[in-house]
Amino acid sequence: MPKKEKRAPRRSTAAKAAQRMVVGGLPQEEEEVLQSPLQMVVHSFLRDKVAMTGLVLFLVIFLCCIVLPFFYPIDLYYQDVTQANVAPGFSMLNVPSKLSGNAQQLSVGSTFSVGIDKDGNVYEWGTFPTDKLKNIPSTSETGKLTMISAGLDHVVAANEDGQIFTWGNDRMGLASIPLELRSGGNDIKQILAGYQISLALTEDGEMYNWGSDYLLSITYPEGVQGNIEKFAASTNIVMVLTKDGEVVPLTGKTSAYTAIPEEIQGNAVDLALTDESAAAVTSDGRVYTWGNNIKGSLNIPEEIQGQVASISGGRYHFTAILNDGSAVSWGDNTHGQASAPAVSEKIAEVDAGYYANYAITESGKVVSWGLKGYLMGTDAFGRDIFRRLLVGGRMTMTVGAIAVIISSIIGILIGGISGYKGGKVDNLLMRLAEIVSSIPFLPFCIILSSILGNSISETQRIILIMVILGVLSWPGIARLVRGSVLAEREQEFVTAAKALGVKEFGIIFRHILPNIVTVIIVNATLDFATCMLTESSLSFIGFGVNEPNATWGNMLTGAQNGTVIENYWWRWVFPASVLGICTISINCIGDGLRDAIDPKSKER
Amino acid sequence: MGKGRYLIKRFVYIVFVFFIISILMFAIYKAMPGDPVVMMLGDIQSSMKPDAYQALYEQTKEMLGLNQNVVVQYFVWIGNMLTGDFGFSTQYKREVIQIIGAPMTNTIMLNLFAMVVVFLISIPLGIATAVRKNGVFDKAVQVLTIVGYSIPAFIIALLAIFAFAVKIPIFPISGLKTAGSNAAGLQEALDMLWHMTLPVLVMSVSGIGGITRYVRAAMIDVLRMDYIKTARAKGLREKTVIYIHAFRNALIPIVTITTWWIIGLFGGSIVIESVFLIPGLGKMLIDSLMQRDFSVVLTMQMFYVVLSLCGNVLMDIAYTVVDPRVRLEN
Repeated sequence: MPKKEKRAPRRSTAAKAAQRMVVGGLPQEEEEVLQSPLQMVVHSFLRDKVAMTGLVLFLVIFLCCIVLPFFYPIDLYYQDVTQANVAPGFSMLNVPSKLSGNAQQLSVGSTFSVGIDKDGNVYEWGTFPTDKLKNIPSTSETGKLTMISAGLDHVVAANEDGQIFTWGNDRMGLASIPLELRSGGNDIKQILAGYQISLALTEDGEMYNWGSDYLLSITYPEGVQGNIEKFAASTNIVMVLTKDGEVVPLTGKTSAYTAIPEEIQGNAVDLALTDESAAAVTSDGRVYTWGNNIKGSLNIPEEIQGQVASISGGRYHFTAILNDGSAVSWGDNTHGQASAPAVSEKIAEVDAGYYANYAITESGKVVSWGLKGYLMGTDAFGRDIFRRLLVGGRMTMTVGAIAVIISSIIGILIGGISGYKGGKVDNLLMRLAEIVSSIPFLPFCIILSSILGNSISETQRIILIMVILGVLSWPGIARLVRGSVLAEREQEFVTAAKALGVKEFGIIFRHILPNIVTVIIVNATLDFATCMLTESSLSFIGFGVNEPNATWGNMLTGAQNGTVIENYWWRWVFPASVLGICTISINCIGDGLRDAIDPKSKER
Repeated sequence: MGKGRYLIKRFVYIVFVFFIISILMFAIYKAMPGDPVVMMLGDIQSSMKPDAYQALYEQTKEMLGLNQNVVVQYFVWIGNMLTGDFGFSTQYKREVIQIIGAPMTNTIMLNLFAMVVVFLISIPLGIATAVRKNGVFDKAVQVLTIVGYSIPAFIIALLAIFAFAVKIPIFPISGLKTAGSNAAGLQEALDMLWHMTLPVLVMSVSGIGGITRYVRAAMIDVLRMDYIKTARAKGLREKTVIYIHAFRNALIPIVTITTWWIIGLFGGSIVIESVFLIPGLGKMLIDSLMQRDFSVVLTMQMFYVVLSLCGNVLMDIAYTVVDPRVRLEN
């Protein structure tokens, strides 16, 4: 039988190595046939294909989770409903080639963009939040479109006769365009599709809004209607620029937005809003910003002051066109939306919206920068799953590792003392181990974390989880250490150490422990996988690490119902597969290590 | 020492452990923040006169026995527990004993089904792989079992829902009853079985993974023994050698691991119950924790403790049954 022949030499190496372990160093000439026990373990582990694959996979995941968060930073508290449940993909800035070179106007929507060319043809690209967006009205119906705007999940367009069209989401009154706009005949100056609202402005300075104004609650101060030059809207507020160059917020409430700098009043020529701040350009080319300085949207680059021609705002960033035709962006740069590229031609028009920008040059070419898409999509709160997966992995692994370290330390101490001392101490400690392992693990963890976890901060709560896991899972490793110590303590080297007068503690932990460290490592590896599983199960049912902190377990919490499982596959497939691959890898590594350390177990 | 005395000794020890854990549980219960009386009275404080509320407060406190010292409270509580008086649920406004019947039946049924499935699959599979050690079949099963016990149950649940409830909608996603159905008798039982199929399947996967590996390892150890060679040399049929001579001897490690697994299974079913929205003990535990209904929580916890200790007793009995050599001095 070939099998037996193969095994025979391996066993003899093992035997010799074992002999060497006992006897110590052997004469030099036999060195080439012999390997030290450690070399043998490494060698045998390296030959184990399954274990090596596991090791490589685990290392890749581990390194990704440690290194990549530096390149893809995450704000754990960040949420954005406009980016909710976006499918994976990088098509958001894929401007159709037919449009580039002949572009009339482009507009950034939540996760999609629209554009019209100079002949009035409509183009749409990106990830569509609703399929209704694909029902673009035919050209025969609309005539030649001249203006277009994309919102959260709907599009508003105007044709050259001043007729307004809308498609996409048609609920909340978004489809009920005011009659005078539907029939045409007005000169439309500006249109905007916002967050569940549509706005339009005529050349007479008359503004119309339809859709849900629940969030914005638009109120027109006296004398504003009929005198409007331009308007800007975010999810929080609508502001207008009057024909007299004054900035007027269309709200009854005072907020950071309404603290408009006095010096711009009567002097403003352009106005833009982000979600947290506002900016206005004065006739002398200076930019003034006010509002909340979230993500640096108020930090205007000093060098552009005095040269700004017009301005446009995204969700947390501004983009300005300077008098020399170049574009400058500032504010949130998470997706590169504030890194305006250098363009050789003069830029005629810029549309900044949400997390992207489109610039149209004088020859009609389109330049884009900003959010291209999400590698693994986004979750229900619009958070990037890829980034959360990275920090979540770091959290899951940290919790698992620290729990294992705690349980190993307790287990080694108790197992070591118990095995070495024997007798009553042994009996007592092993009964203790039995009691701890009789405690039903998962229910107990749930109760502890829910009762104790209520009155403490999130960081303390994470530490609590680690400690609970560690303190409840030591009996296994203690029994193992006790067994190994029992076997080792009768060896000659222990007698020798005793004869030399080494203290008991020293004998257990300095002399015996190094001999059984391999067993401990194997067990710790397998325990690591178990702790990761327990942590993610706890987090999954909401009793482990909580939002906004990410772990692989709590990322799956939201994916518990059929709708999410069916429609938003990226929300569970990625965390589930990474967690699965990671634990499978660790278990393979553990198994491989065990086989390598104890060649006899390979025969199993 | 005879078997009987050994078992009595173990039993006394387990009763001791029960009291230790119950003291621990009670301590945690006492340590938690929040006044249970206020919690029970709810928001009626705003609708009552202060002195009337105070009177009601004292009355409730007395009714709950909270005005005595902690040691007395513990003994009252454990005495009640042992006589089947599990306290009053603030969430359901009923005695705990009246509300835990149905969930307990559901959970026990769910776990029993899962156990049956696991044993029916993993023991024959473990034996078969041990006999065909290192063959292609064995290698394939080895890989599959690693995958099986490495993947957490909730991920398997998500996959199962995706495959059998979304893509091929043959099983329901949640609950134990078709909504609005008033079927009775056999029809009701079948409906319940149909609802339980997916959860049982999911719960079995990790069990099958782990137990198969243990059965295989134990069988391989036994098959190397000399008495197996003797049995073969006697000319016994291979089936007899494997199932009668080898398997009986492999049972001891299997019994140990199975006991631990069964205890873990009941704990793990908390996750499965919350995914599949099964009205069982696990879901009740979570709901009660959310509602801070601690009489129910403590009862659940004591149920799990008793279950785990019963598991230990059963394991001891099983040892003496499967291995006549067991005298187990210590």
